[in-house]
Amino acid sequence: MWINVLSKAEIEEIHERSLEVLEKTGIQVDHEKGLKVLKKAGAKVNNKTKRVRIPKKLVERCLRTVPEKFTLGARNAEKDCPLVRGGRPYSRNGGGADYTLDLETGKFRPLMLADVRSYFKLMDGLDGISFVAPVFGQDMPVLGRDILMLREAFAHTDKHIHLRAYSGKTLEYMFKMAEIVAGGKEELKKRPVVSLLEAPISPLKFLDVTVDALLLCGEYGIPLDVCVMPGSGSTGPMTMAGNVLLFNTEFLGGVVISQLAHPGAPLQYAPRPMIMDMRTGFSLVGSIEGGIMAAAGAQMAHYYDVPVSLHGPWTDSMLHDGQSTFERTYLTFMAAFAGANVLVGAGMIQESLVISHEQLVIDDELHRTVVRALEGFEVNEERLGMEAIARVGPGGNFLADPHTLRFLRGERFLTHLLYRNSREAWEGSGSKDFEERARDRARTILREHQPNPLPGDVSKALDELVGNALGQLQK
Amino acid sequence: MRRDEVAKITENRKRGEGMMPNILEQMQKDLYSGKVEEVKKEVKRALEEGLSAQEILNQGLLAGMEKVGKDFKAGDLFIPEVLMCAKAMHAGLDVLRPLLAGSGATMMGKIAMGTVAGDLHDIGKNLVSMMLVGAGFEVIDLGVNVTPEKFVETAISKGAQLIGMSALLTTTMPAMKTTIEALIKAGVRDRVKVLVGGAPVTANFADSIGADAYAPDAVSAVDMARELIM
Repeated sequence: MWINVLSKAEIEEIHERSLEVLEKTGIQVDHEKGLKVLKKAGAKVNNKTKRVRIPKKLVERCLRTVPEKFTLGARNAEKDCPLVRGGRPYSRNGGGADYTLDLETGKFRPLMLADVRSYFKLMDGLDGISFVAPVFGQDMPVLGRDILMLREAFAHTDKHIHLRAYSGKTLEYMFKMAEIVAGGKEELKKRPVVSLLEAPISPLKFLDVTVDALLLCGEYGIPLDVCVMPGSGSTGPMTMAGNVLLFNTEFLGGVVISQLAHPGAPLQYAPRPMIMDMRTGFSLVGSIEGGIMAAAGAQMAHYYDVPVSLHGPWTDSMLHDGQSTFERTYLTFMAAFAGANVLVGAGMIQESLVISHEQLVIDDELHRTVVRALEGFEVNEERLGMEAIARVGPGGNFLADPHTLRFLRGERFLTHLLYRNSREAWEGSGSKDFEERARDRARTILREHQPNPLPGDVSKALDELVGNALGQLQK
Repeated sequence: MRRDEVAKITENRKRGEGMMPNILEQMQKDLYSGKVEEVKKEVKRALEEGLSAQEILNQGLLAGMEKVGKDFKAGDLFIPEVLMCAKAMHAGLDVLRPLLAGSGATMMGKIAMGTVAGDLHDIGKNLVSMMLVGAGFEVIDLGVNVTPEKFVETAISKGAQLIGMSALLTTTMPAMKTTIEALIKAGVRDRVKVLVGGAPVTANFADSIGADAYAPDAVSAVDMARELIM
């Protein structure tokens, strides 16, 4: 069932070569505490160039303590996402966007706080969106915007929340907020209601904020996506093999820093290989090569036995149009069948810049479709329907047979968006195309869905903490 | 090229024949193929043949880059190839520079490039810088997290005619406005043009902060720089 881009020998070669890159070329780290931890464990640190060369043995030791599975906890435990090898994939929206296509006018414009709220509400109301990541309102204050986003997210959904942090300082405030929602430090460790993503800068450079995240997440027991995203031909080698080698090396660099400071800290391998368009210089996210390299990344993650997050519904298109559907469909299916635990990108268009409500609704459908595809079907006595076939016999039909009634519900995926009736009926209901039907569904959910509110005391405690944090940041 | 050929060209030139000396044609061809050493040698040889530095620059190097630019825009050449061509052009230019400086011949403009304060992303800025260098501009790359003061100071002390600012985050975009304000405050805004770009930056935003131009990609950044400076 799985896609195998790499043979077993090739996986081992990429692993060995990654160790070689870490030992010979090394990574760049400028973080005082991070450097101290690395040096103490036996890495060769050049204090002048901040180059850290990591011995093979040290990487191997650190790989042994990375957990093979963990759960992304939700405020509502029914919406927990256990990330287990061979388990079903979960989906989340693409985070970080700050523009939108207006749901009513279709016009491209800055994303505002009001959109952020409606977007969170929509994500909460869609079953095919398993958990949520922040998107940013441009009318919100710059200082502490990440903290305010988390506050909004907690208010609008009881699903797991995937954070984005501007600095180590704001990150710590956000973890304190998560403690309030989880009900204490220990509870947060047991069922982390938030997780984080941080990306080293390709090639091989770990900024302070990334090292802060690696250390702080370990301390709080918060799952961290080590997002490695070299751009083939620009920040990574032109070749796919070289690019996979580079992102794998960067992932291992993250593993070492994290596990040295906090052995057993939960990490997710998050390859986001991109390619630079050699005609324009743009970094592309929707290319087929990106999909192939990501599938190879999943194989590396399985080799290390760590959960893996890949881009699923991703596109370079400016609109939720045919190109968008085309790119996100093949990427989603490739990633899911490569064994990704998390599929990332729902609702996002134009790389990572723009969100669209109707795209989110379409991606909800796409996710439920791919999960259905992965489920396949059971083969057993009852489902083979030997008796029914005998009963109906040659030339009959199964419409009213008891076997049909027995399996009528549950065997098939129920679509919200795909049109499956006559032309007359279609014209009768307004001749709406796929996108228009998605817009209708978005409007209905926004009108009718009621998110599960935060308990009053939790809400109050959060507001207090946010107020203090913003005050501190302004100092 | 053989000695007798060179002699023939020199002879032709003396008689005012052969509008485009072979050596310049070959220079353009080798520049197009990104042959660094060849272009350097050809520039030296052209000087020996008695061509002026300005002639070699205009009809050899810049004319060669023009063809490169044309084919790049048509989608026939890729960025790394253009960068190789630029490298070859600069190898030739290095030979000419002392002569050009002495003769009062004109060079392209000087540009200070940087990613704005608070922003650490540099691949886009680097790409634009490389393309500008390729087009013959002198680029002062200030790196990432460049403060408004640094931009202003560079514009004044190095005589940059244009400042190119890049941002990848909406949270750092306001630093572009602050930089323009700092240029005004320093009293140099009228002689320093401002070009902005980066993934979240839009033409509307560029207008709203009073930038001179916005470039959505590296190619138009070069076009814009030409338009603004020349």
